[in-house]
Amino acid sequence: MPGVPVQVQQFIDALVSAPPLEGYLVVGAFLFAIGAWGALIRRNAVVIFMCVELMINGVNLTLVAFADYLPGAGGLGVSYAVLVIAIAAAEIAVGLAIVLAVFRSRRTVNVDEVTSMRG
Amino acid sequence: MQTVGQQLIITAIPALPALVFFVLALFGRLLKESAQYVAILGVTISLVFSAFALLFVAGIVPGGGAPIEFAVNWINLGAGGNFSMGVYIDGLAAVMLVVVSFVSLMIQLYSGAFMEGDKRFAWFYAVLNLFTASMLGLVLAPNFIQLYVFWELVGLCSYLLVGHWFEKPSARDAAMKAFIVTRIGDAALFVGIIIFWATTGSVAFSDISLAAQSGFIGGSLFTTAVILVFVGAVGKSAQFPLHVWLPDAMEGPTPVSALIHAATMVAAGVYLVARTYDIFVQSPTAMLTVAYIGGFTALMAATMALVKRDIKRVIAYSTVSQLGYMMLGLGIGNYTGGIFHLYNHAFFKALLFLCAGSIIYAMNSYNLFEMGGLRRRMPITFWAMVIAGLSLSGIFPFSGFWSKDSIVASAYDEHYYLLFGMALLTVFMTAFYIFRAIFLAFTGEPRTQGAREAGESPGIMTGPMMLLAFLSIVSGWVGIPPGLGIPIPDYFDEFVHPSEFAVSTLNIEEPSFSFVLAAISVVVALLGIGLAYALYVARPELAGTLASRFSWLHKFLDKGWYFDALYGATFVRFAMWLGKATRGFDRNVIGGAVSGVGRGATGTGSLLQRLQSGGVQNYALFILLSVLIIGIVVGAQYAVIVVGLIVLITAAAFAVGTRL
Repeated sequence: MPGVPVQVQQFIDALVSAPPLEGYLVVGAFLFAIGAWGALIRRNAVVIFMCVELMINGVNLTLVAFADYLPGAGGLGVSYAVLVIAIAAAEIAVGLAIVLAVFRSRRTVNVDEVTSMRG
Repeated sequence: MQTVGQQLIITAIPALPALVFFVLALFGRLLKESAQYVAILGVTISLVFSAFALLFVAGIVPGGGAPIEFAVNWINLGAGGNFSMGVYIDGLAAVMLVVVSFVSLMIQLYSGAFMEGDKRFAWFYAVLNLFTASMLGLVLAPNFIQLYVFWELVGLCSYLLVGHWFEKPSARDAAMKAFIVTRIGDAALFVGIIIFWATTGSVAFSDISLAAQSGFIGGSLFTTAVILVFVGAVGKSAQFPLHVWLPDAMEGPTPVSALIHAATMVAAGVYLVARTYDIFVQSPTAMLTVAYIGGFTALMAATMALVKRDIKRVIAYSTVSQLGYMMLGLGIGNYTGGIFHLYNHAFFKALLFLCAGSIIYAMNSYNLFEMGGLRRRMPITFWAMVIAGLSLSGIFPFSGFWSKDSIVASAYDEHYYLLFGMALLTVFMTAFYIFRAIFLAFTGEPRTQGAREAGESPGIMTGPMMLLAFLSIVSGWVGIPPGLGIPIPDYFDEFVHPSEFAVSTLNIEEPSFSFVLAAISVVVALLGIGLAYALYVARPELAGTLASRFSWLHKFLDKGWYFDALYGATFVRFAMWLGKATRGFDRNVIGGAVSGVGRGATGTGSLLQRLQSGGVQNYALFILLSVLIIGIVVGAQYAVIVVGLIVLITAAAFAVGTRL
């Protein structure tokens, strides 16, 4: 495409060309790490669920990336990802129901206050 | 050869009382006191069948005249050998069958009145029948294994019956003692059987005898095995040094004592030696052991009986002493004499116990010194007891005379002068102690209110007593030695005689009747009776004076030569120590280990309990840390990456902010 500076052209190429596998993995790892961190330190049960979703999606991203980049995998990772999404949806449905039940009985969703399992 | 029907009849002899046991054990609560009729029916049929066996072996029933012998395969171990279960009835076994079932029948008739109102009446009859069945089975056994099974059953029944009144601690202890002491003998017998089986490959009496003759087993191993078998007999027949259980067994009901002493249990030991006589005669050492143990036991037990105050214990020691005679007879080679004494003894000893039971029934006391003057109140009991006493003392022509004289005379004939002296001294003491008991109980003035109010026992008790008294007089007449000049053949000797092999091995001349020896033994017995009369009737104060002058001797005899104390201080104490040590080991070491593990788990648990905060995020943190640790361990080379990742997460978290 004429009239376009070489640097711009290279930038566009870089944008258009497929990013390397590592890119996906790093993003996935970040998603997972942020999720894990949040799940560990947040007090609000609803937010913890959101963080768990982040972790799940980090893993999903990794699965899909591998499925795409490893020809030997035969796309199996994608089906797994679909499975994980379905299970995550179910988990959220159950989890939120539990959170609602806890909220009804205790008037709080602060996990630090829900310690009746203390040994 | 016998027909199948005849074999069935023979099998029914022990099977019927055993069947009665099961019936009474199952339905005893419904039958209550009518249990006795079931029992008596069973034993009566057994007696009739036993009589048939006797007639068959004697050759009076057509087709008989030879020992009855048949067997079925019991356990087949293939190459390991096989064990058969069968029947062998020769003259000896036939006589024993009749004696056992007859005495058992008498005792069961008598018990109906004696045990009236007992809490466990039906159970008593049930065990009485099992006892009879086991003894009959033992008599029929042709091999050691079958004999051992019934041998143990006899021991079990004696335990149950001696401990019949187990509410009394003394009865419990006596039952335990009887069981444990005889068990020592049983263990020895079992080892003996194993030696025989291991060396000859058979447990049948006849096979072992043949194997020993042809040298499959010999020398000291053979002698050891024979003596071990004899130790079994010593335990069952209450010979020195395992005699301590029999006097204590007096804690059982009196009819049981009669049964144990007359027909079942103690007779089993003598019977065992007689049954395995062909084996015994091949070991002169064993025969001498039998003779001297028997002679010593006869003497020792007689001295113990001299001073007892309990009428049943006097008779009990008398049994020990008389069994010693039988062993002595067998040991010196007078097979027929020993068995003849067993046969006569069964009647007069059962009678003595039934008399004692009759006195106890009348006045509820065992103590001779609480009786007195019972002759006029209990005439039948008195005369029965006098007849039994005369028979026991060996006075002509009562039954005891014939067998006792045979044993004493053969001790002299065979030149066992020490044994002869012991036997003669025992004759004297026997006459003394039994008439001491009779004089104390029946003559003089009543010493207590109970003795004044005593009355004769009911007919169901005196009936069997009279029958036994009759037999105590005449039972010996079937074995009158030919030398006496009375024209009655010696049926017993013809019928119960050692095998040809035993006779030739022992090389004993046919014993001839000696008037001198017979006169000596009768005179000695009369002297004993005279001394008893002098001390307890003519001058009663003299006995007390003698007892206090020789109080150490009196105490020594009364305590039974301190055997109980000796065994108590040695074996019992050792066993108790061992038991306590074992208990200590169990409690401290094993129990300590178990509870230590438990305490350790509890302690660790309570430490780890603090981790269980209930906070869900703590758990999540643990999971994460654990996964990281596992990750580091598994992939140490990626540790840098992992650590970096953690640092990154931390940094990112701080960057995003701890609270969204």
